[in-house]
Amino acid sequence: MRRYTVHGAVWIGVYLLFILAPLFALLTGSLPDARGFWTEFSVAIGYSGLAMMGLQFGLTARFRYVTDPWGEDVIYHFHRQISLIAVGLVVAHPLIMFAAQPQLLVLPEGADVPLGAVAAVVSIGALITLVVTALWRAELKIRYETWHLSHIVLAVVAVTGGLVHMVGWGFYLADPWKRALWIGLTIFWIGLLLYVRFVKPLFVLRRPYRVAEVRRERGNSSTLVMKPEGHAGFRFRPGQFGWLALWGSPFRITGHPFSFSSSAEAADGRVEMTIRNLGDFTSTIASVPVGQRIYLDGPYGAFTIGNPADMHVLIAGGVGVTPMMSMLRTLADRGDARPVILFYGSKDWDAITFREELELLEARLKLTVVHVLANPPAPWAGEQGYIDAELFKRHLPPPYADHEYFICGPGPMMDSIEQALRELGVPMSKYHSERYRFV
Amino acid sequence: MRRLFADRLVLATGAVVILMSLLFAASRVLG
Repeated sequence: MRRYTVHGAVWIGVYLLFILAPLFALLTGSLPDARGFWTEFSVAIGYSGLAMMGLQFGLTARFRYVTDPWGEDVIYHFHRQISLIAVGLVVAHPLIMFAAQPQLLVLPEGADVPLGAVAAVVSIGALITLVVTALWRAELKIRYETWHLSHIVLAVVAVTGGLVHMVGWGFYLADPWKRALWIGLTIFWIGLLLYVRFVKPLFVLRRPYRVAEVRRERGNSSTLVMKPEGHAGFRFRPGQFGWLALWGSPFRITGHPFSFSSSAEAADGRVEMTIRNLGDFTSTIASVPVGQRIYLDGPYGAFTIGNPADMHVLIAGGVGVTPMMSMLRTLADRGDARPVILFYGSKDWDAITFREELELLEARLKLTVVHVLANPPAPWAGEQGYIDAELFKRHLPPPYADHEYFICGPGPMMDSIEQALRELGVPMSKYHSERYRFV
Repeated sequence: MRRLFADRLVLATGAVVILMSLLFAASRVLG
């Protein structure tokens, strides 16, 4: 835990350094005469906003050093939320500037619109489109794959437009080294994108997998069993996930993140992903032919067992059970003697993915499975409805803060469970959440 | 919960950047 705290603090420091150091570098060397306070403030937030937008490429570049202390889902959440601040700063830049100097709105007669102004309009337009399509993709009915491609293009246009605006205006970038600094930074940001889209796939391409089996599971789900081809595969920790490129090459824009459901102790590098048919890309999983070559980029994620704990409490909703299955299978293979309890919310008895195997695992582990059904069959003596604090009190031995909790399922379910754990006095360091819907 | 922490981090980052921008402007005007 301490290692992660130190790691996290370093990460925040580096993040702020990348925003503020280039800004304050503008105050060194030769300086133009200062304008009014609000004009200078608007310039500062413009530069800062652009630096934050550029760093967005770094957040999604899949650097394990960046993502490990937080978990990929939190990094993507941060990426999404900080973009609102960054866009707010970039949009506020011209608004404050024009409020402070309204004469700038009037173009001298006969003068062409400066390139810097055109670039600013293009950049801000791209940014606003980018945010609107990211926040309301589902409502706008944009396919994930289409959105992903447009997101990348708009981000590059926005950042490049911002750079052209800065250099075109050139107020603070008169010194060649300052110009070089900001141009270099922009190249670095876009380089991060090229790294994740071209360099990383090159490594993935050299380590292909073959589909060895496609297993139908309960709950409209299928398990892809994948074996490494010509290499030893990778080691993962139970609960982690990988980016799956199923059709085509790893250079294709869109990979899909899925948790591994198999044991981390599998000797031959074999990995499994269990995927529910949700009507989109996932509807193709059941028809993947055995022998199909696929590519896996991983492992990623901080949602893993490994901390000292008296018992593991796993809480899953629907297909959120997949990382839990990896944990249970791994604990069973390792002969772990600690108690484990799985709270498992499902629609109905027939839709419980891995139902039979969970019964077998109860014999191999000190495992208790508590099924919580939305539509229980009659008669049903088990739990029904929602997973809440009262349910935990009925099944968990106190003190609750001594157990290690893992939660994976739909967003609203996870919010209410985190609330229930807070009510039971479980500290934040003792529970781990994995949200599988990034966008 | 880590998301709640991330939300606070986002707000703190925004606040630090705005404060530093104010400092930038003040140093230009006063300096």
